[in-house]
Amino acid sequence: MMTRVGPAARILLLTVAGAVLPAAASVRPAAAAHRPGNEVLIGGAISMTGRYAEPAGRQVNAIKLWVDELNGRGGLLGHRIVLRLLDDKSDTQTSIKLYEKLITEDRVDLLLAPYSSGITEAVANVNERHRMPFVAYGAASSPIWEKGRRYIFNIVAVAEDYQKGAVHLAHRIGVRKAAIIGEDSLFPRQAGKGAREWARKLGIEIVVEEHYPTKQTDFSALLRKLTSAGAEAVFSNSYFADAAAQLRQMRELNINFKLYSSTIGPSLPNFPEQLGSTAEYVLGFSQWEPLPHILKHPGMKAFIEAYERRYGEKPNYHAGGAYGALQVTEAAVRRVGSFDQEKLRDALATIEVHTVFGRYRVDARGMNAHEGLTFQILQGQRRVVWPDKWAEVKPELPMPEWSRR
Amino acid sequence: MREEAGARGREAGELPDALVAAPGAPAARRGPGPGGWRERPDVRSLYRLAAFLAAAYALPFAVGAWAGTVRLDAAWLAGLATVVLGGVMQGGVYAMFAVGLTLIFGVMRIINAAHGEMVMMGAYLTWVAFFAFGVDPLLSLALTLPLAFLFGMAVQRLLLDAAVGAPELTGLLITFGLGLVMIYTAELLFTTDFRTIPYAPGTVVLAPGVAVGQNRVISFLMAVGISTAVYLVLRFSRLGKAVRATALNAEVALVCGIDVRRIYLLTTGLAAALAVAGGALVSIQFGFNPETGVVYTLQAFAIIVLGGRGHYVGALIGAVMLGVLEALVSLLVPNGTAMVELAAYALLIAVLLIRPGGLMGVREG
Repeated sequence: MMTRVGPAARILLLTVAGAVLPAAASVRPAAAAHRPGNEVLIGGAISMTGRYAEPAGRQVNAIKLWVDELNGRGGLLGHRIVLRLLDDKSDTQTSIKLYEKLITEDRVDLLLAPYSSGITEAVANVNERHRMPFVAYGAASSPIWEKGRRYIFNIVAVAEDYQKGAVHLAHRIGVRKAAIIGEDSLFPRQAGKGAREWARKLGIEIVVEEHYPTKQTDFSALLRKLTSAGAEAVFSNSYFADAAAQLRQMRELNINFKLYSSTIGPSLPNFPEQLGSTAEYVLGFSQWEPLPHILKHPGMKAFIEAYERRYGEKPNYHAGGAYGALQVTEAAVRRVGSFDQEKLRDALATIEVHTVFGRYRVDARGMNAHEGLTFQILQGQRRVVWPDKWAEVKPELPMPEWSRR
Repeated sequence: MREEAGARGREAGELPDALVAAPGAPAARRGPGPGGWRERPDVRSLYRLAAFLAAAYALPFAVGAWAGTVRLDAAWLAGLATVVLGGVMQGGVYAMFAVGLTLIFGVMRIINAAHGEMVMMGAYLTWVAFFAFGVDPLLSLALTLPLAFLFGMAVQRLLLDAAVGAPELTGLLITFGLGLVMIYTAELLFTTDFRTIPYAPGTVVLAPGVAVGQNRVISFLMAVGISTAVYLVLRFSRLGKAVRATALNAEVALVCGIDVRRIYLLTTGLAAALAVAGGALVSIQFGFNPETGVVYTLQAFAIIVLGGRGHYVGALIGAVMLGVLEALVSLLVPNGTAMVELAAYALLIAVLLIRPGGLMGVREG
């Protein structure tokens, strides 16, 4: 509890907060008494522009949908919800400033989470100091929850589990040697750490583990290195651009692996379409898919239909996670019966909610044991192949050689 | 005539016709001369540079031998050949980013911070042509290049004319602003979703075990073709001579009857067209979104500094050097892929220490 904030973060906080923050640890009013018109203000900063705008934009969609639905149902505890969403431009410093503003100037009654592990980690120091909890829906890096913070909760599966299904499937088809590659940043490194751990448990030898800089576009040398080390499968902790380049160059160089999985790239909606046949048989991870008949979470069907009606596409997991987190927040507020932040925190720490996203029940660190799923791209469609209880089809592994496609 | 121009340029610290001079030409052209080493720092630094480069490119092999990743069997050599070839191809793409940037800098002394965004625009133009109209990415160049040329001219007339001759920061800020406008316009039109074009995914096998992607070969040939054409125009046509004269000394060019504003207009048009051609290469090889342009600007900038600011051939050579070095480090050094940026910038710094003007550049006065 005592070492919540590292020294560097503390200096950062002091400099950023010192100017704008007259009453750092003031106890907030228990209800929205200060606001006219029987309204409560719910606010957050999220990346509407910048490099995170794609995934975060889908969360914005889900947030707006939830607010309108809730107001349609008569609001929260009899109050009409007013949404104040600001754009952090995918920038950590901007986000910190905006959260300070939301809390101290706008005096929001409920906080929403930002997007991405990096930004969430920075903002976690701000809301922690003001003792306002939120449920994070855009951060999967477990170190955020390993610093004794009390006011941040998590709904999504952590990075370490992104390759869990792929490693299990590799084990099932008899892979003995595999490689882990990934972008050199926090989230892919955590995913790599998890993959290594799962591989060790299942007796798969990791023959190469290598990270590449963010701007890397030429992977031919790295791929060559993997083959000469004897890797049969590749667990790639990658986003769109790097996963796309790796697959293309595998095909160009006629390098064949039994299995290739990527953490983020294949789960983006346009990955199969933009890559065409090169994306076939690739494994990817998803926190959630809009498949009510398979996942069977309560309320899924209605949510998916409402979202699709409004935005013209099915919600992806980013949207599902954000919506689920808001359902949790709503349930906690209703249980507490007020907007008292301390009681709300206690409720979020103990409550069990079945959301459209899955079950929410956090451990002592504030982390939810959310179960994700692994899919394979088959005929341009994402089909769930793991875990077995949710598998739509049998995985087609090993991947056929490029020359036979 | 050219002799004089070159010498004058060096004295004045202005850009000489080295904008298009062949590698090593400035030193060779002067001949051995009586002065010996001391009067020929250029020559001496060339030898030092050669020694350094030999060491730099040998280093990954040494590390590889020490780490046991070097095996001298046929399969390994084929792999090495593939990787070096890949590096050269990558260099071709880098070169396409760099030549347009170096052109604007050479002629107007403006660092075009929106260059990467022009590359990004090219990628989107090609993408739209492919997905909306079904036009082959190479064919669509016939349409997109003139468009880009017009765009470049508009940028010159409306924005950059004000920055020519002003302090370097002025042009940098104007183009930076232009870049932001382009990024957000692209986000508005296309969202931040990543795009790419599934084009020519097959492979070209050159020898057993030595293969290279079709789209990379196409890209490389296109890069070589376009940059050679631009080189020839700059070197031999009247227009090219006028461009070089303007780069050398705009005032004297003006006195000689060259319409300098027109040259600026054409230069930026040409640079935009080159950037858009680079964007077409990006769209068939990599994923891109409105934000990726920034990376291309940085890469292009590093290359033109390496090659010699404003030097056309220098940019080409610098690009291929970087591509190959990155590939070697990635292949041979344990966990080397994480170090490719380190290697690239170490090379850049070392080259600049040996030759402050860059590989092909001349010492600035």
